[in-house]
Amino acid sequence: MRLFRLTAATLFRRKTWVVCAFVVGVLPFIFTQISSGTENAALWKPALAQATWAMALLCSIFWGFFTAAKQGESNAKSGLGEYFLTTGVSAGRQLFEMWAAIFSFLVPLPLISAAICVLAASPSQAAERTMWLATNFQYAVLFLVVMAPLVALACAVASRLGSITGFLTSSGLAIYGLYGVGYLKLLGKTGDSALAKWLWTSSPHYHFADPTERLRYKLGAIAWDKFPLLLAYFGGILLVYAALSRLLFRARATA
Amino acid sequence: MKLQTPELKLQAGLTIGYGKPIASTAEDIVLGGGTHFLIARNGRGKTTLLRTLSKTLKQVGGTFEARGKTQYLPEDLRFDPEITVAGIFRALLPAARVKDSIDLAARLELDVRKPYGKLSTGNRRKTHLIVAEHSVDPESGNILLLDEPFSGLDAYAREIFEDIWRSSSDRVLRLVSCHPDYDSMGMPSAIVIQGSGIRHTTGSEQTWSELKQQLN
Repeated sequence: MRLFRLTAATLFRRKTWVVCAFVVGVLPFIFTQISSGTENAALWKPALAQATWAMALLCSIFWGFFTAAKQGESNAKSGLGEYFLTTGVSAGRQLFEMWAAIFSFLVPLPLISAAICVLAASPSQAAERTMWLATNFQYAVLFLVVMAPLVALACAVASRLGSITGFLTSSGLAIYGLYGVGYLKLLGKTGDSALAKWLWTSSPHYHFADPTERLRYKLGAIAWDKFPLLLAYFGGILLVYAALSRLLFRARATA
Repeated sequence: MKLQTPELKLQAGLTIGYGKPIASTAEDIVLGGGTHFLIARNGRGKTTLLRTLSKTLKQVGGTFEARGKTQYLPEDLRFDPEITVAGIFRALLPAARVKDSIDLAARLELDVRKPYGKLSTGNRRKTHLIVAEHSVDPESGNILLLDEPFSGLDAYAREIFEDIWRSSSDRVLRLVSCHPDYDSMGMPSAIVIQGSGIRHTTGSEQTWSELKQQLN
């Protein structure tokens, strides 16, 4: 796991992960001071919950995908990928080791958010607390299942087409899946377009993994009989993107 | 486990190139343990041959056999500018060999606490070479393909590495591409790419001075 250790040591040394930890762990408390939670105490906890999860998402997109893209491009262009190839570390293995190192820095972000929600923003009633715990647990699991393949995709696309393209591919897919898919649904309904309907069906529906509204309005966790279906859906997307990433990844930039 | 002697066997007709052929061997070439130099004028195929033998580039034609654990050190290898030399050693080398690598760095006057991006060209080369030499498997035959490892390296460091090479010639085959900078440099075994031909020339008294005439 030499490339894993090298990537992890490099990321640790760069220290930008400290910024992410601050943004996810500290900034939400500051943001709530300028939110409507200052006027209405009942809104403070939902504001904190929403802020911390939003920061986790922003950090994953801007730091996570950018870092993955940068590592993918650098591995291909710096000669390191070629060196590892000659020592028997295949391209697939290189992608996995880099992905594992980057993802190990991303994993704490949703865990910090969940911890803040549970420890600092839990509802006071016991029944609601159980629901709160379950919702945050589900959010953290779905968050990781959604982000994992996008990190690999950023790395793979960047190894072939450059870091900007890699970053834009994954961040574009994430934002589209969270917010853009809804507009496509409207288009499909209003214009009766078969193409729009097909696009909507085949798009990644990341909004299903975003229970922010459930946290904000205390709507309760996703039903446990439906949660495995969601996991299977995003697990399927994970497999497709993992395969695509492996096909796209290049350990050496061609001359 | 019996130590395997490293060997590179280039069959006659091995042709290298990027789609279009650049050069090929007219006869079989067999290289055993020890240091072999790879010389040619600029753009004649030294890196292409090294890439082919490291299997990161497919040969245009013909075959070769490589027996031993291979490492190819590209000339333009770069690590992340933020990571320190010590960090590189700890990440890439077996734990038991990190101390030796740091000791060698001290002999070579290489500051392992410095970030890689702040090193001079020569010190970066030292870093790469230390990683390669300490990644050698002592239980097996090894093949090191080194692309211009002397570029930017001072004479003192070069002598230290050449001593290491001499002491490990039984289990390590090194094919070293270079542009020698002094005529009396001994090259008892050299792969010469001249025109479209690749040949092997040997001689215990062979020096760069004689080979240079052939290339010109």
